[in-house]
Amino acid sequence: MEAFLQTTFLADSLLGGGPNNLFNYLLLSGILFALGIFAMISRRNAVGILMGVELILNASGINFVAFSRFNGHHLEGQVFTLFIIVLAAAEAAVALALVLAVFQTHRSIELDQVDEMKL
Amino acid sequence: MEYSVQIMSPAAHILFWFVMVMTVASAALVVVAKKILHAAFALSICFLGVSGIYVFLHADFLAAVQLIVYVGGIIVLIMFAIMFSSHTQEAGGEGGRHYLALGAGAATALIVFTSVLMMVGKLNQPLAEQNNRAYEAYQHTVGITAADLAAEPQRLGLGHMLMGEYLLPFEVASILVLAALLGAVVIVRKETKG
Repeated sequence: MEAFLQTTFLADSLLGGGPNNLFNYLLLSGILFALGIFAMISRRNAVGILMGVELILNASGINFVAFSRFNGHHLEGQVFTLFIIVLAAAEAAVALALVLAVFQTHRSIELDQVDEMKL
Repeated sequence: MEYSVQIMSPAAHILFWFVMVMTVASAALVVVAKKILHAAFALSICFLGVSGIYVFLHADFLAAVQLIVYVGGIIVLIMFAIMFSSHTQEAGGEGGRHYLALGAGAATALIVFTSVLMMVGKLNQPLAEQNNRAYEAYQHTVGITAADLAAEPQRLGLGHMLMGEYLLPFEVASILVLAALLGAVVIVRKETKG
């Protein structure tokens, strides 16, 4: 039993070990990060770009918690992620205010139509 | 016997993969959805999944914060912004994205993802070590019962850190949130003379 658990825990093979393998969390956060970049580059809608940023922030949060959990259950990573969440909330509020302000002046939030700095 | 309950059981493995697939699929939907409102709904599912991942990482307080702030707050803000700004239906809900933009986005995302994978591969040896270290940390928690956890929960340590070692960043964050609040009001407010 002990040896079995040890081997499932070690699980240096890809994807093995389920929730006990650090690699799975790193893979998830890598995927979320890449998808966030994808959304940021390919979306024209300002809100869509903001969604990409949120995805990236979530990916970094997962990384912080995963590394701190797999380095002996410290809480530092969780504190960092807490700050990331606070920053994401503040950023979302300001960004959406900006979106509304842009919409009031340009009647559109498609960013390729919003190309002058001053009306 | 209680050992196998403490260490993740097969049911937990299945649940873990379910949450992983749900998170990745909804994140993909955020990117490819034609209508921005569908993307917002998919994003809320994705945040739910990330909260589940936090539970698997033994960060239960963080999972609750994720639910409250992201699903309860940011998603609602995003929905508000979409509904305030999308009565221009002639844009077709951003139906046609430029192929150039899609290609550039896909290429950049692929490059970023492979470089992340390569970095993880570089730390392959420490990866096994870290998994091992997590296993050793588990050894001490085998005897812990739910009652023990309720007596001294993890959020206690988190609170001590926020009020002790990380007090200055905490206060700076609170000032930042205040500034963001005022800034949002100032930005949206209509210009009124006098």
